[in-house]
Amino acid sequence: MTNSSGRVGVRGLTKRFGPVAAVSDLSFDAPPGAVTGFLGPNGSGKTTTLRMILGLVAPTSGEARINGVPFGALPQPARVVGAVLEAQGFHPARTGRRHLLACAAAVGVPDAAVDVGLGAVGGYSLGMKQRLALAVAMLGDPQVLILDEPGNGLDPEGIAWMRSFLRGFAARGGTVLVSSHLLGEIEQTADHLVVVSRGRCVYQGGLDQLRASRRARVLVRCADPDGLARALAAAGIMEIDTLPDGRLGIADADAVRVGDVALAAGVAVYGMVEETIDLEQLFFQLTTGQWRSGQGGP
Amino acid sequence: MTGLVRAEFRKAFSTKLWWALLVPVVVLSLLVNLFGGLFTASLADAHQGTDVPPILLGSLAYSLSLTSVFAALYGVVTAAAEFRHRTITTAYLTAQGRGRVFAAKAVATGAVGALYAAATVVVGAVAGLIAHAGLPGAGALAAVTAVGLLVAALWAVLGTAVGVAISNQATALVVTLVYMLVAEALLSLLLGRSDNPVAARLAAYLPVNAGDVAVYDVAGRVLLGDGTRLAELLAGVSQPPPWWGALLVLAAWTAAGAATAQLVGRRRDIT
Repeated sequence: MTNSSGRVGVRGLTKRFGPVAAVSDLSFDAPPGAVTGFLGPNGSGKTTTLRMILGLVAPTSGEARINGVPFGALPQPARVVGAVLEAQGFHPARTGRRHLLACAAAVGVPDAAVDVGLGAVGGYSLGMKQRLALAVAMLGDPQVLILDEPGNGLDPEGIAWMRSFLRGFAARGGTVLVSSHLLGEIEQTADHLVVVSRGRCVYQGGLDQLRASRRARVLVRCADPDGLARALAAAGIMEIDTLPDGRLGIADADAVRVGDVALAAGVAVYGMVEETIDLEQLFFQLTTGQWRSGQGGP
Repeated sequence: MTGLVRAEFRKAFSTKLWWALLVPVVVLSLLVNLFGGLFTASLADAHQGTDVPPILLGSLAYSLSLTSVFAALYGVVTAAAEFRHRTITTAYLTAQGRGRVFAAKAVATGAVGALYAAATVVVGAVAGLIAHAGLPGAGALAAVTAVGLLVAALWAVLGTAVGVAISNQATALVVTLVYMLVAEALLSLLLGRSDNPVAARLAAYLPVNAGDVAVYDVAGRVLLGDGTRLAELLAGVSQPPPWWGALLVLAAWTAAGAATAQLVGRRRDIT
């Protein structure tokens, strides 16, 4: 039965194009009132997944539901879901205004909703087309927004505007599912992350949890690593790794504490670096398959 | 549903295609009927005082047959353009079910096809007046017009079905043109030469011939009292069905085309 929750739910979604598995057994939820970031490198199955949610691509198995029903069962789909997809085209000779008017008729909203004067789409930049696609998506005043790489073709100002727009939409209770191949692009927008690699989910959860899964370490180069490790252990600092280059990596203390212990133990310290957590690097590790879900995922 | 139909009309009249194909329709009708009108006028001069059959009706029927090709092309190009320019994504996202999108599109393209037939008749009648042929009776003209409108509308819908089923614009266009202009004529010729009487009659039931038979039969009934001979002569078929039967045959082909388009298009992945 249709509900009006605005929740997007994906269960066991799988799509094979011939022998190629574009999406494998993907399950996640995009809840209302939040921005869900759908992250993965190019070719990881993001677009195929979004198109399956929207009923444009038939899943090989599994299902995607919006408001509890598949897209095709929504009585007035454009009033529930607005979508901005990458390969969503425009007739180059049709003006943006006429395109919007045609869409307004199909959606069933009055022409007054279209109050713009726009020239032929053939002359549009990529950014203009993205904005026109977003205008179409918003015509039906939908509960759910699904966007595939909306940042493409937008200038920094446009990206900043898109960010605040999506945040505002979610703050008003809407559901946002937005894909990107750049973590940085949605890092400041997304409340939840779904990270896919080669059609499989490799991480699902909050950004903070992702950060927490990799804690900062202090890397120490010293005269006597074993001696320092013993002194640190005696001081109650137990999470110590020995790096391949002979340095110590200490996870549960900051540089000041490590320095104090080294001084007290009489170990000469040649260098100390506080390792920063680079989310982009973490994302890269996630999606190149060196890191599997379950390590820090919910 | 009315919203979807309105959307399709708005799409139809916001690009140049509809009038780009209307131009050859008008020009061909003008030329064909000017010739038909002059022919009628010369007959009238030669047979002073006798009843001259309104040959213009025959030339009108012939130009309506030509118009059906353009109506079909309009349907093919309009439908396939949605895939070419990827606007089909938006169309499917704003409608409940792909069937409704097809139905709305069929209504709009059918109307444009009928518009082409109407333009053909108006221009043809004016050409007849210019050629001093005088107009055929209002009833006869109305009958040919009505059948011509239906044939052109059906062809536009059939073209739409071909465009959706094939979806590649260039391929759909070539397939349609080759079939309508060459393949069916060859097929009719082969069937016509067959010794089997059933096969020989079959040619009249092919889609292009059926549409032609419908308009020629109506015109022939007025011109010669019986349309069969005119239809046999101009459509190159033997023992054709009457106009209403031919219309039903074309409608059946259109329905079959629409069903195929549904079958092919329903589960097609739009990537």
